Amino acid sequence: MHQTLDRRRLLATAALGGVVGATGLGSLAPEAAFAADAVAVEPGMPDPNFAEGRISKISGNMLLVTGSDTVLHSIRITDGTSIWKLHPTTFDRVAVGDGLYARGVRLPDGTLAADSVWVNIVNLHAHIASVGRNVLHLDHKGQRIVAHVVTGRSAAVYNGTPAVSDMSLLRVGRHVQVLGAWHPDTNEIDIATVYAAA
Amino acid sequence: MAALLGEVSWFCCGSAWGPCGTAGGGACGTCRSGNYQHAWPNTSDACLAITRPDACGITGMSRRGCGFRHYTTNLCNGARIGTTIADCGPQTDLFCGERTCCGSACGSNRIIDLTPAAYSVIASLSTGLRPCSVDTV
Repeated sequence: MHQTLDRRRLLATAALGGVVGATGLGSLAPEAAFAADAVAVEPGMPDPNFAEGRISKISGNMLLVTGSDTVLHSIRITDGTSIWKLHPTTFDRVAVGDGLYARGVRLPDGTLAADSVWVNIVNLHAHIASVGRNVLHLDHKGQRIVAHVVTGRSAAVYNGTPAVSDMSLLRVGRHVQVLGAWHPDTNEIDIATVYAAA
Repeated sequence: MAALLGEVSWFCCGSAWGPCGTAGGGACGTCRSGNYQHAWPNTSDACLAITRPDACGITGMSRRGCGFRHYTTNLCNGARIGTTIADCGPQTDLFCGERTCCGSACGSNRIIDLTPAAYSVIASLSTGLRPCSVDTV
């Protein structure tokens, strides 16, 4: 995985090199990106190469993101950026209002050149309140979450066994971890993977 | 503390969007998704009574307080991250016996949860769960 991230970072910075050639923005040189990556972060401290928040505007290949702490982020999507939105996807599937986590390289101008962007991703610990046709109703910290089973995508992992599409072993009252994608401004998610104890 | 083998996942905390919006600052009051922090199952008697790693047969999980440093290694790729305790968790006893592997590298039972900023250094957030080792140096 680390090798994959390194390769992705190389691709991202290489793509930025293309931007340099196209726009003449010297601050986006690949060397600057790698230099920025060398910053070490102390345990407990915020990571300048990470951002979270909701997309307030999309302009060209830039995402303008308002952090949950109200800090504003400019996130640049490059040809090397990996985008996840329930599954690996493309930039055109990203929308204003989506939530995200992003990791990349903070450039001298403050822009985050993204290696990876996880759109609307949630990782919830919940109890199953009820099971319907292609839907789970979850209790999550006092909130009701409607979790949709997506045919061909949603999978269940029962006690560490290989992922399967069969959700029939999920039982009301059981504790689960649900990795999925949030539907913005609702209490609904699409299920990527449900982890359930046996 | 000898290195502890188990599973690592991630959780959100602090100001957040979506279903995470109610997460808050965790048991230590300092937790932020963008910081290198983690949840640990044995931060206090009250915490341990909830997480119950002993119910899964885990011994050697030391009592550690807010701000203590642990280092987590993803056994799938060897990537390592240093973080500080900011919350109580994961609730180990709810997944007793669960086992996660990457080839022959395996971990059993949930022993640590990282913030998204920390987890994404050692694995993609979309993986959700990884075998790991945790130590203090």
